[in-house]
Amino acid sequence: MMNRSSLQEDFGALRFQLAYMSYALALTHVHRLPAAPAVFRAPFQRLIEKMLSPDVWTYWRHVSTGNGPMNKSLGELPPQWNPVHDDNIMYSAYIQSMALLYHYLFDDPKYAQPGALTFKIEPLYWGDGGESFEYDEKSLNQRLYWQMVEKGYLGIACEPNCVFQICNQPAILGFRMHDLVYGGSIAEEVTEGYKQAWSEFGITRENGHFNILVMEKEHELLEPPPQGWADFWLGSLINMWNPEIVKSNFPAQIAHWRRDAPEGSMWIEPSVKPEGFGPPLTHAYDFGWAAVCASEVGDADSLDRLLKYADMFMDPVWDNGAYFYPRRDGWFDDQGRLAAMDPHTGNALLGYARLNVPDGLNKLYNNPLTKAHFAQPALVDMSEGIEVREARYHPDTRSLNIAMRPGRCREGFFDLSFANFWGRGSWSLLIDDEVAVEGNDSEVTSSGRAEAHRNGDRLDLRLPAGDHRLEVVWNEA
Amino acid sequence: MIEAHFSLVDHHGKSVSEQDFRGSWMLVYFGFTHCKVVCPRSLAKLSSALDALGPGIDRIAPLYITVDPARDTPSVMKDWLEENFPRFTGLTGTEDQIEDAKKAFRVFAQRKADEEDADGYVVPHTAIAYLIDPTGEYRAHFLDSVDGETIAARISDIISREENISNA
Repeated sequence: MMNRSSLQEDFGALRFQLAYMSYALALTHVHRLPAAPAVFRAPFQRLIEKMLSPDVWTYWRHVSTGNGPMNKSLGELPPQWNPVHDDNIMYSAYIQSMALLYHYLFDDPKYAQPGALTFKIEPLYWGDGGESFEYDEKSLNQRLYWQMVEKGYLGIACEPNCVFQICNQPAILGFRMHDLVYGGSIAEEVTEGYKQAWSEFGITRENGHFNILVMEKEHELLEPPPQGWADFWLGSLINMWNPEIVKSNFPAQIAHWRRDAPEGSMWIEPSVKPEGFGPPLTHAYDFGWAAVCASEVGDADSLDRLLKYADMFMDPVWDNGAYFYPRRDGWFDDQGRLAAMDPHTGNALLGYARLNVPDGLNKLYNNPLTKAHFAQPALVDMSEGIEVREARYHPDTRSLNIAMRPGRCREGFFDLSFANFWGRGSWSLLIDDEVAVEGNDSEVTSSGRAEAHRNGDRLDLRLPAGDHRLEVVWNEA
Repeated sequence: MIEAHFSLVDHHGKSVSEQDFRGSWMLVYFGFTHCKVVCPRSLAKLSSALDALGPGIDRIAPLYITVDPARDTPSVMKDWLEENFPRFTGLTGTEDQIEDAKKAFRVFAQRKADEEDADGYVVPHTAIAYLIDPTGEYRAHFLDSVDGETIAARISDIISREENISNA
């Protein structure tokens, strides 16, 4: 779904949509379908590939020149092509955290290879060969780490001179993933330094709303009126390492911004920009981020009421297996209630809120996946168009449970591939409570309901497309 | 990421750059002599770490680069360091030279008003010690939170591994 803008500069830019879709995938994998990396790995890769597209980051060539209302003190700066070298944490932190999340979740160093994160533009009619900047997850992380050190841990600027709290949180998530993959304690160092640096300004204001940004050169807090999106966006993220500050302020924040609507639903007062302050685009970011934050802090009542409003009044659609809320321009309906919907909220945020679990990001940050997780039986590959509803290995009963149904694939077969399957003794595979396949490390016997065979260190399974529950039980050690 | 370049004056009044330390390891720390807590604590810890290295210390040049060149003249640094942390050589320079050195090591330091200071200001700064090898390459850094024993062990380990490679 497209927007009226270029989707590069506003708070619904492509980078934000892609990043929060990837975070939603990460949370869903870890908390809901831990034994089904097959569902998440390929989409995660595609999101990263899209993040590397010039369509996502070339705005930096213009934005790096500054000279806007909040960075005029720096004057006009020379244009920069490299989107991760200096500032622009509103992009660099997202690609850094996505690459490291991928490595962590799938135990795959794909983006650790030299040049795996290359920012490249190859124009035909200008630029004498274009631009190319080669990084990998480690060199990019190092780049961000030393910028953070150089800034005294206050944070790296988004637009020149503008240090937003929000956009430094994804970098902290990336640092944490780096620690979990490679060892070290960068995240702890940075969060301790961050707390100290922001103690001069306050992470929150006295009125309980979050501060938004500091102007770097002036070393001054910019204090616009509180914004709903800022409270909820920062709350959703900073909950990973500072849940106390989020949970002590969220109840008053949501009470401040919420508006009651029919049948117990509710909407969030949107932050309407004053005239002349950027393009007059309408959006539902405040609403979308409130839903995400409610999901993260575990406020089920607010989350239910917000999603109910979205479902009742935001015209959701199912299309090609996806549930989303189409763009709608204009702030309010005839009743004076929120009507606006934008691509970021409709494509990413409400889906994120629906898929998250209480303290989902906090648990992802603080409860590392163990070696045992990566050694457990799991669905690691599957054909297109299958909806996986459950995927969990239970060590106590030595069983793997998978539930699935047709998505786009409504006819033919489901092809599935399981890893960490062998060397666990004899096993039985039940499909819809009936034994369909049995085997041990040397032989596999299929009943006719499904075809199964050993493929190296995997078990490959083919069964007719349909609504199915699979259970694999290993009988002996 | 860290490019250990500087062009400064040592506390004997002699102009020095990183080139003058080629062939030696450098342990570089930034601070200022009016610092009441962080610098004395860090320099004491680094000094004890250096003591623990024993004979290996001969191959290390401990350097203390000021972030407060207005007050830290060569003689001020010499007096303060020789009295308190004699292993360290102080380096200072013009504001621009110090800015360049800070940038090269990615050091944060920002002057801030402080009523308790006799001159009315302090300069909060990054509390990181950098280990630079004899070719001028950054090899490691140690946060303020790391204890002296660990720092000594890591420096010893890095130097030993380097020498084993060189001798192989």
